[in-house]
Amino acid sequence: MRVAERIKNDAGKSPAAVAGPSAPTTGSGSGRKRRGVNREGLEAGRRSTRTLLWVLLAAAMVLYGFPFLYLLFTSFKTPIDTIAVPPTILPKEWTLENYANALGRSGVVASFINSIQTAIISTLLSLVLAVPAAYGITRYQTLSGRIFIMAALVTRMVPPVAIGIPLASMMASMGLADTPIALSIAHTTISLPLSIWLMSSFFEAVPRDLEESATVDGCSRLGALWRVVIPVVSGGIAVTAIFAFLASWNEFLFALLMTAIRSQTTPVVIANFQTQFGLDWGSMTALAAVYSIPVILLTLLLQRKIVAGMTLGAVKG
Amino acid sequence: MRISDRRFALFLMTPAALFLAVFVAFPLFRLVADSFFKISPIAGGPRDFVGLDNYFRAFASEAFTGAGWRTLGYTVIVVTLEFALGLGMALLFTTLGRSSQIWRTVFMYPLMIAPIVAGLLWKFLMIDNFGLIGTLLHQAGILSNPNQIGWLSDPNIVLYSVAIPDIWLTTSFMCLVLFAGLQNIPGDLIEAARLDGARAPALLFRIILPLLRPVIAVALVVRGIDAARAFDTILIQTNGGPQSASETMSLLIYRTMIRFGDPGLASAMGTLYLLAMLAVAFVAVSTIWRPGKDS
Repeated sequence: MRVAERIKNDAGKSPAAVAGPSAPTTGSGSGRKRRGVNREGLEAGRRSTRTLLWVLLAAAMVLYGFPFLYLLFTSFKTPIDTIAVPPTILPKEWTLENYANALGRSGVVASFINSIQTAIISTLLSLVLAVPAAYGITRYQTLSGRIFIMAALVTRMVPPVAIGIPLASMMASMGLADTPIALSIAHTTISLPLSIWLMSSFFEAVPRDLEESATVDGCSRLGALWRVVIPVVSGGIAVTAIFAFLASWNEFLFALLMTAIRSQTTPVVIANFQTQFGLDWGSMTALAAVYSIPVILLTLLLQRKIVAGMTLGAVKG
Repeated sequence: MRISDRRFALFLMTPAALFLAVFVAFPLFRLVADSFFKISPIAGGPRDFVGLDNYFRAFASEAFTGAGWRTLGYTVIVVTLEFALGLGMALLFTTLGRSSQIWRTVFMYPLMIAPIVAGLLWKFLMIDNFGLIGTLLHQAGILSNPNQIGWLSDPNIVLYSVAIPDIWLTTSFMCLVLFAGLQNIPGDLIEAARLDGARAPALLFRIILPLLRPVIAVALVVRGIDAARAFDTILIQTNGGPQSASETMSLLIYRTMIRFGDPGLASAMGTLYLLAMLAVAFVAVSTIWRPGKDS
C-alpha cells in the first residue's frame, strides 16, 4: 500500500494533470459494468487501445509461430529445394519425399520406439518415487522432509554434463550399458526433483481432515494415502506425469553419452544426421517435425493442466 | 504395531532419497574424486593421484576462463531478453483479458519442442547461403548481401545468435509464470492507482513490478540455472565454434572429456562449474527469494 500512497502524493502535486487521465478512467469504469463482470484491473478498456493491442499480439504470434511453420514447409520441399539459394518460404512442389527418406533410414523407427519406451519407464519411475516422497514431506512436516526437499532442489542445479560420464560407467558396470532402462534412470535424475516439487504443491492443497477421517474409520496411513488422497490428487499426478514424460522425450545430453546403437533415442538420431550423412537438411526437418508434432498436439489438448503445473511452484513462491 | 508419524514420513521418503543418493550423489562423488587424478582415457589405463594439479591446469587454460565468461554472458543475454519479452507478452495477454486465451495456448507451443530441434530449426534460418533470415533482410533492402551478417560464422556475434533458440523456446515459460503472477494482483489496487491518475509507466514500475517481485525472482533463478547449463542448442548450431566463440562451460567439459580424452581435467572443470552454480543460486535464493519468509 505504500506504493499506492506515494502515487497519490505524486498526483496531488499537480491537480490539473489528474483531471485529464482520471476522467476517461471513470468513463471506462461504467463501460465495464455495462459489458459484464469479466473485466477488471489491468484489462484495457478503450476500443482504440484494444485494437492496437490486438495488432501487436498478431505480430508477435506471427513472429513466434513462423520458425516452426518454416520447418514444416521445408520438410515438404524436394531435397534439392531444401537447400536452394535463395531459399523460398513455401515449397515450389509439395512432396513427402523427405519423410520417406527420413523414416526409411535404418534405425529411425527403432529410435522412436526407444524414445517412447525410455520416456514411459522414466515417467513411471518418477511417479512411483515422487508421490510417496512428496506426501511424506508435505503431510508430516518433519525436519528430514525439509532437508530432503532442499536437497532435491539442489540436484536441479547439477549440470548433466558433470554426472553423465560417471553415471554411464556405473551403468556399464551394472551390465545396463546401452539399454533403455539405463537411460530412463538417467532421465529420472532430472524429472524426479521436479516431480517431488510439483507433487508437494498438489498435496499441500489437500485438506488434512480428509485422511484423518479415513484413519478414524480404520484405514491404515498407507491405505488412506492410496484410497483417499491419491484419487483426490489424480489431476496433479497427471500434470507431473506430463512434465516427466516431456523431460525424457526431449532430453539429449544423457542420451548422447549413454546410448550407442541399440537404445539410441530420436534426438540423437536427429543430431547424427548432420555428421553421418553429410548435411541432409530435408530428412532432418522431416524427422524433427514427426518428433515434435505429437507433443505439440498433446500440449494443445492438455493445455490447462500444463499451465497449472508450470505456474504452481513459481507463483506460490 | 504402529510406527510413529516421523518414521512413517521417513519410510515414504526413503526410496526417492536412495535413488538420488545412488544416481546423483554417488556420480557427483566420483566426479570430485576423479578431479584429483590424472586418468588415461583408455579403459583400465593408469590412474595417478596428482592432487590439485587438474585445478591449476583448469585455471591456467584460456579455454576454461573463456568458457566461464561466455557462459555468464550467454546466461545474462538469454535471461534478460526472455524476461523483457515474456513480461511484454504477459502484459499484452493481461490487458486483452479473457478473449486472448486461445492465443495464450498457441504461444506455449515452443515449450514442448526438443531443444535439439529448436537449435536445428534456427540454424536452418540463420545458416550462411541458404538461411532465410539473411535472404529476407536482403529482399527487404536492409542488407546489401544475404550473407552480410554471418549469424553463426562471425565470432563476434555468434554468442548472441546461439542464444536465440533458447530465448524462443522459453520466453513462453517466463510469460506463463508472469501472467499467473499478474492475475494475482488485486484489481482494486490498479483501479485505485488509475483513479489517482497513475499512467501506464507508473503503474508498471511502481505497482506491478514491485508486487511481482517474488514471482520474478523465482522465474529468473529457475531460468538462469537452465541457461547456464545450455548444451543441446549450442552443440547442434555451432559445436562451440567458430574459434570457440560459442563454447560454453557444458560444451568445454564435454569436449575435454570425450574429444580430448582427459577425464581428470574435465572432472576438475565440472566440479568448479557445479560449485559456481551452487554459489550463485544460493546467493540469489537467499537474497531475493527467501522461501517461506514472505511477509
